Amino acid sequence: MLDPKDLRRAPRSLDRRRLLQGLGAAAIGGSLTGAARAETEHHSVADAPVANAASQLDHVPYVGVHQAGVVNPRPANGMVASFDVLARDVDELEALFRTLTARIAFLTTGGPVPMLDPKLPPPDSGLLGPVVHPDNLTVTVSLGASLFDDRPWLKALKPTHLQRMTRFPNDALDADICHGDLSLQICANTQDTTIHALRDIIKATSRQLILKWKQEGNVPVVLPGPDGRAESARNFLGFRDGSANPDSSDAAEMDRVVWVGPEDGEPAWATGGSYQAVRIIRNFVERWDRTPFGEQERIFGRAKMSGAPLDKPDGSEFDVPDYAADPEGRATPHDAHIRLANPRDAAASANTILRRPFNYSNGVTRSGQLDQGLLFICYQADLDRGFITVQRKLNGEPLEEYIKPVGGGYFFTLPGIRDAADLVGSSLIAAARGA
Amino acid sequence: MRISSFAGASALALVLSSGAFAQEASLDLVEPIAEYKIYVSENVAKLVEDTTAFVAAVKAGEVDKAKALFAPTRVSYEAIEPIAELFSDLDVAIDSRADDYEKAEADPEFPGFHRIEYGLWEKNSTEGLEPVADKLLADVKELESRIASLTFPPEKVVGGAAVLMEEVAATKISGEEDRYSHTDLWDFRGNFDGARKIVELVRPLIADKEADFLKTVDANFDTVDTTLLKYKDGDGYVTYDKLSEDDRKVLAAAVNTLAEDLSTLRGKLGLD
Repeated sequence: MLDPKDLRRAPRSLDRRRLLQGLGAAAIGGSLTGAARAETEHHSVADAPVANAASQLDHVPYVGVHQAGVVNPRPANGMVASFDVLARDVDELEALFRTLTARIAFLTTGGPVPMLDPKLPPPDSGLLGPVVHPDNLTVTVSLGASLFDDRPWLKALKPTHLQRMTRFPNDALDADICHGDLSLQICANTQDTTIHALRDIIKATSRQLILKWKQEGNVPVVLPGPDGRAESARNFLGFRDGSANPDSSDAAEMDRVVWVGPEDGEPAWATGGSYQAVRIIRNFVERWDRTPFGEQERIFGRAKMSGAPLDKPDGSEFDVPDYAADPEGRATPHDAHIRLANPRDAAASANTILRRPFNYSNGVTRSGQLDQGLLFICYQADLDRGFITVQRKLNGEPLEEYIKPVGGGYFFTLPGIRDAADLVGSSLIAAARGA
Repeated sequence: MRISSFAGASALALVLSSGAFAQEASLDLVEPIAEYKIYVSENVAKLVEDTTAFVAAVKAGEVDKAKALFAPTRVSYEAIEPIAELFSDLDVAIDSRADDYEKAEADPEFPGFHRIEYGLWEKNSTEGLEPVADKLLADVKELESRIASLTFPPEKVVGGAAVLMEEVAATKISGEEDRYSHTDLWDFRGNFDGARKIVELVRPLIADKEADFLKTVDANFDTVDTTLLKYKDGDGYVTYDKLSEDDRKVLAAAVNTLAEDLSTLRGKLGLD
């Protein structure tokens, strides 16, 4: 089996061969699939993308039991786009899924862009030139509660925990950037690839989808440490984010935390899917930068530079805090972000979520402040037990003075596209036809 | 009918004289373009007539009457907007919006229909609108005088159908055009009629070869018609805020799809 690390060091001729493989549909399920899987085994979602390691030829298979873009490591760029869906019946919904699948298959595999008579508009925007490279692209399709609620023929099939996002006490939700019938999480090594994918899909689905909102973000790339381990990326408050994430290369752990299983009390069609919670969380960065260093650390519960828990100040971000030894909250305050979110007791492991966030930087507010923050994305097998429970524990945390959730929504990530003949959402379509 | 045949003959002469024979396809387009010019002439004549009455009401200080005439007066202008780029200076003078000016509504440069709309609805007054109204009438009359001698390049006319759908998709579907009066649905009617007219005129040229394409385009125009019909009120339409969120989505998808499909119309007719 090809090791992706070897490929990166490989001479150009091998790279070229890999490109040619990547362009052929036959490569799906072939050695590239193996290469991409091998990569997943060595990295976790929380790891920052490794500097200078990304290649246009990086390829994540779009087929599998689960959709791509959930447990594989984040590339440097990510985006969530939310849409209204027009589909009035199951045939129209299937047509939408068919179009989406075809575009996802092409965009994530790559290949030469089609050309037409120059008198006609070009079928491809040309952003990536004459040949589209996979560039680590993943497009993850998820459905909002409104898609089910507004359609009597779909309503009975709504996932058990899928619901419209409601306001938490610190939220100031802007209706223009909330909810949606369908979300696309689009991730790739470069922003051009995510934008190219979005424009391609918008062009292909104008009959069926209406863009509602989108938020782009990125993950800073880092150099791996001396031990070869990549550290967690920092958020725009300067702290490492995702240190306590579950190990996304542990399939059994992902089955427990992320993926809906047959025994989860969900409709049968939903097995292999996941709940996606998206939150656009503005950070008041000017104010944060005027906050004492020690207070910043106490608010998060971690050393800012190393990411170590406060009770192990000489350790690393991967050390686990011992709250049992700190009942008074002297080392780590009881209302510190990481202590509230994950008290590290037996009960808390039921609330584990897989976080996959991106930082965003949008522009300037009317008050002349930077509009920056976190495009928070997390996945879990049970939305209530996962994100909603964790966020409830965080209500009232001191960090709230510096953050303001303004948008996002809850979605159900469809089960995987099994093979090249399958469609995203095929199990839902089959269930809707059977009902 | 006299007007029509006169305009048709002059349009034909103009197309012939402007060297539009570069391609064979253009030859087939001579008749549709001539007919389109008649359509434009008729609409501009109606625009002048309606604007004369509208301006008179504004100048007489008759706020309610002016409000009632605002939306119907604009319909004939919205119908010829597909070719507004052929008279872009007048389009700015007649139909630009507050956003186009640095000081928005307070900008002394802000002219035309929407300047008057702002005064009528936001201030409930015609105060200070007399010079704006005079200028508007002068501008629509100038437009009328230009049409007869205006060259209609086939690719601009055919492309205009798509361009208008692009404009509706980009800056009209949200209800931002008639933001003071909320009479946007009247404008939509004019916009869609104007775009569809162009499709009808070239239909015979592509009916055989592009039957599926025309079927899709017709279906989307029909969707628009059916949807707008729900909001009919007397001779016109209810205000934009009455448009349901679901119907707004239906219109938005139809407009985007029409823009996508009609963007190929030029190419299908062999126009470059």
